[in-house]
Amino acid sequence: MSVLEVENLSFSYGNPREKFQKQVLENINIQVSAGESIGLIGENGAGKSTFLKLLTGLLGLEAGMVRVAGLDMKKENLKDIRAEIGYVFQDSDSQLFMSTVYEDVAFAPRNYGKSEEEVQAAVLSALKQVHMEEKKDRQTYRLSGGEKKLAAIATVLAVGAKLILLDEPSAALDPKNRRNLIRILNSLEGAKIIASHDLDFVLDTCQRVILLSGGQVAADGKAEEILTDRKLLEQNGLELPLSFSWQPGM
Amino acid sequence: MGKIGDAVSELHKLDMESEQSGWLRELHPLPKLAVTLFFLVLTVSFGKYDLPGLLKMGVYLIVLFVLGDVSLKLLLKRMRAVLVLVCLMGAVNPFFDRTAAFTLGNFVVTGGMLSAATLALKGIYGVSAAYLLIVTTSMGDICYALRRLHVPRMFVTILMLVYRYIIVLLKETERMTDAYALRAPGQRGIARKTWGTFAGQLLLRSMDRAQTVYDSMVLRGYNGNFHLRHKKAAGHSDYAYAFVWGAVLVFIRVI
Repeated sequence: MSVLEVENLSFSYGNPREKFQKQVLENINIQVSAGESIGLIGENGAGKSTFLKLLTGLLGLEAGMVRVAGLDMKKENLKDIRAEIGYVFQDSDSQLFMSTVYEDVAFAPRNYGKSEEEVQAAVLSALKQVHMEEKKDRQTYRLSGGEKKLAAIATVLAVGAKLILLDEPSAALDPKNRRNLIRILNSLEGAKIIASHDLDFVLDTCQRVILLSGGQVAADGKAEEILTDRKLLEQNGLELPLSFSWQPGM
Repeated sequence: MGKIGDAVSELHKLDMESEQSGWLRELHPLPKLAVTLFFLVLTVSFGKYDLPGLLKMGVYLIVLFVLGDVSLKLLLKRMRAVLVLVCLMGAVNPFFDRTAAFTLGNFVVTGGMLSAATLALKGIYGVSAAYLLIVTTSMGDICYALRRLHVPRMFVTILMLVYRYIIVLLKETERMTDAYALRAPGQRGIARKTWGTFAGQLLLRSMDRAQTVYDSMVLRGYNGNFHLRHKKAAGHSDYAYAFVWGAVLVFIRVI
């Protein structure tokens, strides 16, 4: 079953009547099945962040169709769509705005009208999934970078999102926290789209990769095939993951 | 650590103090906030020459300092700038109001001196009471209590977000000042001609941050309504705290 269907999606910044209109996405077609983990790669300006924002309704659709968990992307469906889709921002400080970890993770379930018992169960379950139960009463700004990232993931797990979008999740993480994040992401059941420049991270967390280039899908296939295709990656402004390109003496 | 780093560190310490265990800290935030507000209202209600009456209100602060195991030395250190300011509020009164109130030996105490002392004391009481509330109650709990007292939602939301992001803003400012200092060796502070650009950059970064925070809230179902909760309901000891202090403060005010 598809949790996400994208058909003929195009998007440009700027007014159509303006001279400097910039086409960012053009004719994107993608389907994501339940539980699938997809790496979204591409050089800077390829349209990755714009694509993620279109999936959450933060940017309005111009052309094409987006359907999340069977719901068409329309203004009247936005609230229901956002209960099915979670967005983890690159900067966790922007995501954690409440005073404590518990309050932050409880924010979404409360907004969706859950009772306090249901909220508590959802928060504890989400924190357990990211191994942060012990930190539930900590002030959010006093968490380390790695803990903030995990708490941010818990905030979207608490509403039971079927699809999680992560924007550069491994940015600014030390090796230990990065490894921990990989382990946790791999243990999550929901579908994931991970936009990242860290191709080794994508290789460790995703079975499928979508390569965006110039606003179009340049490749869509198995991670180990795309991420080992030096020619394809270099044609699209990328390089082989370090784990493939590193040789002794380099 | 620079001045900004010190400020961030002090905020961290304040938070940690409010999280410590202890009878006063574990009380429900609503009676604590209500008693603090009641104390402030009664303090302000004293006449400008009623210094003896006002001095008696100090009982409340002394008891809370003892019950909460709060350091007076730290209060004086952290609030020194504000305390100096409130002490100076009535500094010019003695020059305008020269009517003799009473004499102490050969020294004539004027109405201006009395009103200056009263005004300063009210300020000191206000700052101390607010400080005591902050070091014994987390900001999340204070915001929850404010909502329970029907303080407008918008005000509480802004207060909460400002408190949450003041540290992020301070750190951003510190990064910018550090980057500036590293490229302007030997210069003290930021050159005046750069102030505008510096403030503009900080504003733009803050606006970017504000937009992302708002996006993050909207994506998690925010519709203008912050649902604040407290982990436990108010119990008998919480009501008793409010009732006893209410009675004591009214008694002090009327005697």
